[in-house]
Amino acid sequence: MFSQGLSLEQAPPISVVLRFFLSVPVFGIFFSLLLIIYPLEILTPNHPISLSAIHLFFLGVISMSMIGSLFQMQSVLGGRPIPSVLGNSLVIHTFFTAGLASLVSAFFFHIPAMFVIAAVLLGSSLVFLVQLILPLLFGGVVHDTLRGMRLALISLLITALFGVVMAVSFANETFGNLHAAIRTAHYSWGLIGWVAALIIAVAFQVIEMFYVTTPYGAWCKRNAFRILALSLILKTSWLFLALPYLWVFDLFVAVLLIGFVITTILRLRERKRRVGDVSIWFWTMGMGLLLISLISYSAYLWNWSASLETVAIISFGLFSLAIILGMMTKIVPFLVWFHLSSSGYLETPIMSTIIPAKRNKTLFALFTISSLFALVSVFKLLLLPVAGVGFFLLFALLGYNLIRAVRLYTHIQKTGTRFVMNANSIA
Amino acid sequence: MILLDTRGLEHPVPLEMAFSAFTKLHGAQILHMIHTREPLPLFELVTKNEGKYYSSQDDEGIWHILMTRDESIHLESCRV
Repeated sequence: MFSQGLSLEQAPPISVVLRFFLSVPVFGIFFSLLLIIYPLEILTPNHPISLSAIHLFFLGVISMSMIGSLFQMQSVLGGRPIPSVLGNSLVIHTFFTAGLASLVSAFFFHIPAMFVIAAVLLGSSLVFLVQLILPLLFGGVVHDTLRGMRLALISLLITALFGVVMAVSFANETFGNLHAAIRTAHYSWGLIGWVAALIIAVAFQVIEMFYVTTPYGAWCKRNAFRILALSLILKTSWLFLALPYLWVFDLFVAVLLIGFVITTILRLRERKRRVGDVSIWFWTMGMGLLLISLISYSAYLWNWSASLETVAIISFGLFSLAIILGMMTKIVPFLVWFHLSSSGYLETPIMSTIIPAKRNKTLFALFTISSLFALVSVFKLLLLPVAGVGFFLLFALLGYNLIRAVRLYTHIQKTGTRFVMNANSIA
Repeated sequence: MILLDTRGLEHPVPLEMAFSAFTKLHGAQILHMIHTREPLPLFELVTKNEGKYYSSQDDEGIWHILMTRDESIHLESCRV
């Protein structure tokens, strides 16, 4: 009856996670519309519409999913439940959503005052999230995924703080000498410290568990986050001190991530039981996209071609989206099944039927086609709206999958029959 | 004792098989699950559905989980 690191009955209510997940397709559809309507502006670095799209994607799609997942991960892996999880998650979601809407509006409609509102709402929601979860990751059980979650949350906090400083600059329409350094630090901590670190932490946990592979090496698991953290700290210091050879720290990160890609692909190829699963396709595709991103970025450091930088950013975004979509195909059915089963409903369907494989395969096909068009559009602008249509369909299907899963859950909750366990019989 | 060996099966099959077998337990029956990892979510499902469990790890790192719906059984004494 004893299990180290787990206190029972601590999984958060299903609404906590699904609230964040259900918001993802909404922001994804807005992002897709921008790709369809404003392709030229999107591919123009630092254009306000491009910044709108980037934040819609990395906050509205990627971070929204990751924050939702964190509520589940912390409760299951962290060993300690989040206090008042329903109310706290609602506050965070509301402020985060309103803040993101303000930020995107501020860029899109060029309303400087909206940057202040965005800074207050987004900054407070993220600081609140970090102060809520981060202390729970210390003082209890310690494992490698938990270390990755710590780095991810600290990085999110740093990203948010740099973001607030930049938002104030945009509001005042005055940019100091350090603006470029702050901007680079903002996206470095966001993309590597927050997004990549959390995905690596998740991989350490789920690749072995879900797909019955050999585990990642102990040295890798122990040191990956240390190397990432050290590289980011040194890069930030170098940026603000304007020291030379800044690219060395990017190279450290790139080598580590290439090691992660190779190890993950090898693990997936060496699976003991090769059961067909769309989530594995997404993981494999994600690793391929991360590799494209790393190669493009390394080439960009060599010859400073803007196109290579754009390819690197797009493929990094697609890598994170691939992993998130792959994980959602696993997490959403699990949550529905788990919460119905824990309430003892007889009609609880098996997980594989909650989101049918056919719809998941369609999701993957849409992702593959849209990604291809998005990457090629860097060289053929006309293809970006086509990619936008693909992403529109992808996010619409994702929304449909999520809504169907929620409706199934609520339907069984309202009409289902429960076990009568004490009588050792079934009602 | 009912034996359920889920080693080598991919997620979520072990969890679904184990919980399904648990719901079919009668009287003093005990379900003995053998798995390569500690199935943490299963424990919450078992306790929420008025069951009890005991998990232990052997020298080879394999997890043995005993589950029953009979409150009077002392699972630790049945440990494998």
